[in-house]
Amino acid sequence: MDFIPGGELSRRIRDGDVSAESELIRQFEPGLRVLLRRRTGGDYGLLQDLVQETLLIVIQRLRGEGIDDPQKLAAFAAQTARNLAIASLRKAERQKTDVDSEATDRNADPTQSVDRIASDLEAALAVRALLRELPQARDRLMLKRYYLDDYDKDLICQELDLSEAAFNQALSRARRRFRQILEERGFAKRDLLSLGL
Amino acid sequence: MNQDQIDQYVAGRMGEAEGLAFEEYCLSNPEFARQVEYEQRLKAGLAQVASGSTAEFVRSEHPLRWSLAAAAGLLIAFAAVISIWTSGLHAPAPTIMAAVTGSSPQGDTSLRLALVRGSETAPALPSGLVRVEIVGLFDAGNFYSVALDRREQNQKIDTIATLNDQRPTSPMSLEVMIDSKQLRLGSYSLRVRKQGSGEEALDFGFVKF
Repeated sequence: MDFIPGGELSRRIRDGDVSAESELIRQFEPGLRVLLRRRTGGDYGLLQDLVQETLLIVIQRLRGEGIDDPQKLAAFAAQTARNLAIASLRKAERQKTDVDSEATDRNADPTQSVDRIASDLEAALAVRALLRELPQARDRLMLKRYYLDDYDKDLICQELDLSEAAFNQALSRARRRFRQILEERGFAKRDLLSLGL
Repeated sequence: MNQDQIDQYVAGRMGEAEGLAFEEYCLSNPEFARQVEYEQRLKAGLAQVASGSTAEFVRSEHPLRWSLAAAAGLLIAFAAVISIWTSGLHAPAPTIMAAVTGSSPQGDTSLRLALVRGSETAPALPSGLVRVEIVGLFDAGNFYSVALDRREQNQKIDTIATLNDQRPTSPMSLEVMIDSKQLRLGSYSLRVRKQGSGEEALDFGFVKF
């Protein structure tokens, strides 16, 4: 799909064009998920809430007073998301300092737990499927070294006796297959459509 | 932007200014952002698997054992998804809740419901025929189901009405009518789910006094 520049989206939303609002959501939601996934520490429920809240704020702002530089709509949305994530973190920190932990356990939000477990379960299932498919233990260890142990590429190649080309090829294959597994199982679609897109 | 930069960002090794520029690039390039998200999920999935045991990374081949483990894992996942999916889709009671159409009455009063994270107070349902506006992000081209649940102590105990095939009135709202007289006192929630998708429902709580 074509990308519509921020200036045009801003103008159309201000003029009451509902399809422009849908387009804004379609364009910005994947990037907001990236930005907020990094700032929500694996809390899937919080991630969804903040993505939604960001989009609502941006749309309401464009419907109303607008933004100073409509060409910088993406930057405005990104900063809104960062501010919300910071506010959410501060709120969580405040709650940590004065909350009765036993009472919190008793009143734990079951919905949020389910979200979090579901998110972990999906990624973990896809990774398990990927690991099962990798024929060589070396490839599995390579993924662990690269993503979890944070080893430098050269060090991994040295440890596993791989050329750089072989390393890149194996990594690229694993990435492609992981994406394919998620898509085949509908997990990716579900995640990307979680806001009704 | 290239794969090296994605790797740096996902690993948290990118400088602050470069990270901000990278994020803005993601917002302007949805397909690139999806690629980054897959990478984030791969890392998260590996971490999740490794948090149990690292045996899966260094195992030798035992096809039968791994097949059984995979089958068990999938069975658990399937059961969890089915449980979540079906938990609210019980018998409808259409006289309590109705769709809003062009010929719908305006209603005696209205109520606006939105998700407010961390809010401890639920809005009160006015008396009479209430036009309820559910605020969220909706796909105007899709149908949604709206289930009215009765709740006690923050748990759903009964689904008393369900409306299927509801179209949002805008990308930010979906409306239903609720006859307040037919609800007894207590806590309720409207559970909104996009039909034909596996995504979780959104819950909007309110109280009938």
